[in-house]
This record gives sequence, C-alpha cells and structure tokens, in this order.
Amino acid sequence: MSGPKIACIGVIGKADNPLHISLFPPYSDSTIEFSFLLNSCLDIFDIRCKQTSIDQDLGLLHAIDERLAAYGWLTTTGVKLLIIVDLFGQEEASAGKQAGAAINGLRDSDVKPAFRALQSAYIQLLQNPFYSPDDHVPIPGNTASSLSACQPISNLKFVADVKRIGDSWAPGSSL
Amino acid sequence: MALEQNMEVSKPQCPSTGTKKRLSLRYIFVLEPELIGFIHMRRTRVDKVNAELVTLTYGTIVAQLCQDYDSNYQDVNKQLDKMGYNIGMRLIEDFLAKSGVGRCANFRETADMIAKVGFKIFLNVTPTVTNWTSDNTQFSLIFEDNPLADFVELPDDGRAQDELWFSNILCGVLRGSLEMVQMQIEAHFVSDVLRGDDTTEMRVSLVRYIEDEMPPEEE
Repeated sequence: MSGPKIACIGVIGKADNPLHISLFPPYSDSTIEFSFLLNSCLDIFDIRCKQTSIDQDLGLLHAIDERLAAYGWLTTTGVKLLIIVDLFGQEEASAGKQAGAAINGLRDSDVKPAFRALQSAYIQLLQNPFYSPDDHVPIPGNTASSLSACQPISNLKFVADVKRIGDSWAPGSSL
Repeated sequence: MALEQNMEVSKPQCPSTGTKKRLSLRYIFVLEPELIGFIHMRRTRVDKVNAELVTLTYGTIVAQLCQDYDSNYQDVNKQLDKMGYNIGMRLIEDFLAKSGVGRCANFRETADMIAKVGFKIFLNVTPTVTNWTSDNTQFSLIFEDNPLADFVELPDDGRAQDELWFSNILCGVLRGSLEMVQMQIEAHFVSDVLRGDDTTEMRVSLVRYIEDEMPPEEE
C-alpha cells in the first residue's frame, strides 16, 4: 500500500521527558535521527505556547523535508503527542508519480483521528491504577541525569495500542 | 423551614377562612401528601456516585496495598478480604433498610437476594447465580461486568496474574454481611477476567447457620 504513512509516534512528558517513542518501518532503525527530529519539534511546541493561547491540536508543526512532516498535539496536562508522517509511504522507489498527489492530499484533519486514538490510549493507561505516572516524571534538579533516569512507559497494552495506531493509520481512515 | 415560612406569610392574605387555626390546618392538609412523598423519597432513594470515582478509588486502594505489602499478593488478598468483612458488617444494615426484604427461607433464596438485590443496589450489576451443588450449600456468582475492575491491568511482574485477586474485597463484604444475618459462609474467587480467564467467578459456600446465642438468663 502506498500513500502517507506514520513513520514515528512520540509521547513526550510535561518536562520534555520522552515517555514513549515508536518507530515504524522503514524507519525502525533510525532512532537517533528521529529523536533529533522530535527534539526539534519540542522547540516548536515551546514557541507556539508562548505566542498564543493554543488549542490541543497544533496541526502541522513543520515539514522537515519533502518526505517527512511533523504534527503535534498538546494535552491539557502538558503531555505532548507527536506524529511524524512519511508522505510517500513505503513504495516511494517505484511510485514516483504518486508522490506528488500524496503531498497535496494530506490535511491536518487527516491526522486528527490518530491523535484522538493516541490520546484515548494514553487516558486508558492513566486510568489503570497500577500505572504510576510519578515513576515517569524526572526529579527536578540535575536535569541531565534525572532525564535519563526516568523510564519510558513499559505497559504492554499501551505499546501495542501505539503500534496498532501507527500501523493502521491512513488518511481518511478511522481508528 | 421553607414551608413554615410560606405558611406564615400566607396566613393574613387568605380572606376566606376564619380563624388562624383553621387556616393552618388547611395548609397542613394541602402540604401533607407532598411532605410524605418527600420523606418517602428520601428514605428509599438510592444515592448514586460516579462509577469511575468508585473504580479509580478502589483501584488506588489495591495498588497502594500492593505497594505497602511489597507485592506480597497473598497478604494483599487477605487485607482486602478483611476490609470487605468490616464493610459488610456495616453494609448489611444499609441493605436491609434500603431493600426492606425479610428473612430468606433458604440458602438458594439468599443467593438470589445477594445477586439480584444486593449487587444491584450497591454496584448496579447483577451477577448470575449458578453451579449449585446438590446439597444447596455452594454456588457460584458469575460477573459479566465488574465495575471495580474497569480500566485495570494487573501488574506485569509474573506473579500478580497468578496470585492477586483484584476484587477480593467483595468476598469479604459477603462474608461480613451474611455473618450479621446468622450465616457463616466462605467466599473466594476462582477465576477473574483480569487474569485472562473467560469469566469472573466467585465461589460461595455455606459453612453453617449461626444459632442465636442468647445470653444466659438470670433467674
């Protein structure tokens, strides 16, 4: 299947600590590249927050290159959801002519269902009494060491949900 | 208070009645049915709280117990049962007042009462009563829907799935409340959807009827 596809989903905590990052093929191994991209997106979050009173849905944060575009969503509790979309999809090598259409075709509203599904997955995680959000908040103080000390989300159901969303999303589909 | 004030105000304005006494009598007649209805409603109304509040509160209690007992789930089960027992001993009074039911003739009737009235009033679910033994002393309650366990996933430490009975407080509640009405029972969970089982099933068995022990009369 060609067409836009999710390349990366990031869930970032209030203190800009990564809670969960999922990469999807063909980017499964580009960990460093994508954590760099996510980091740069956080700066855009900061700028947007200062500029205006913003909605939950931040829409397109920036188009990184002709292939990748980053979309953002900010929950009321300060958790940031990031989705990086690969506009070409997997068949970019063979489908050169489709690429143009794909770039034009993606609207902010296409990504919205993915964010909604992602947010409800996160809410479900929070409602589980055995999940303790405090374990995932860095201790204030020495930021460098505490950031690395705070753990990513290890809940299997949440990780599976994120994977499902990333795998099954396509523009116009409902999740 | 509000009603009384109304009466006071209306008294001088009513031209058709003679004495003060008759006026107030009339008002009492008018108001009384409403008042009775109001009081009646107050007595029988089942106060409701948000189900998620209950679910999340109970979940937090269990999670906290697990933490306090260092994930010794046997102890957590025991503690939940004890908490339930204490709740049940008090809850039975509330149950009898709200439901207004009389004494059950046999244990089968008791089981139906627990499932169809008790759980309905307090948790708004109706578990199925099934799997009776031939001597009518043991039955199972199957919970299709357990409001206590919504949202819950047992901790993924390899032991909780086998050891923790998340809703064990319910066993204690039954034990406590039935003890207050002269029935000694034993209750435990045998399966739980949280553990990956198909159903949530609680096994309840009657141990004995407790005879009323009268204090020795002094003659």
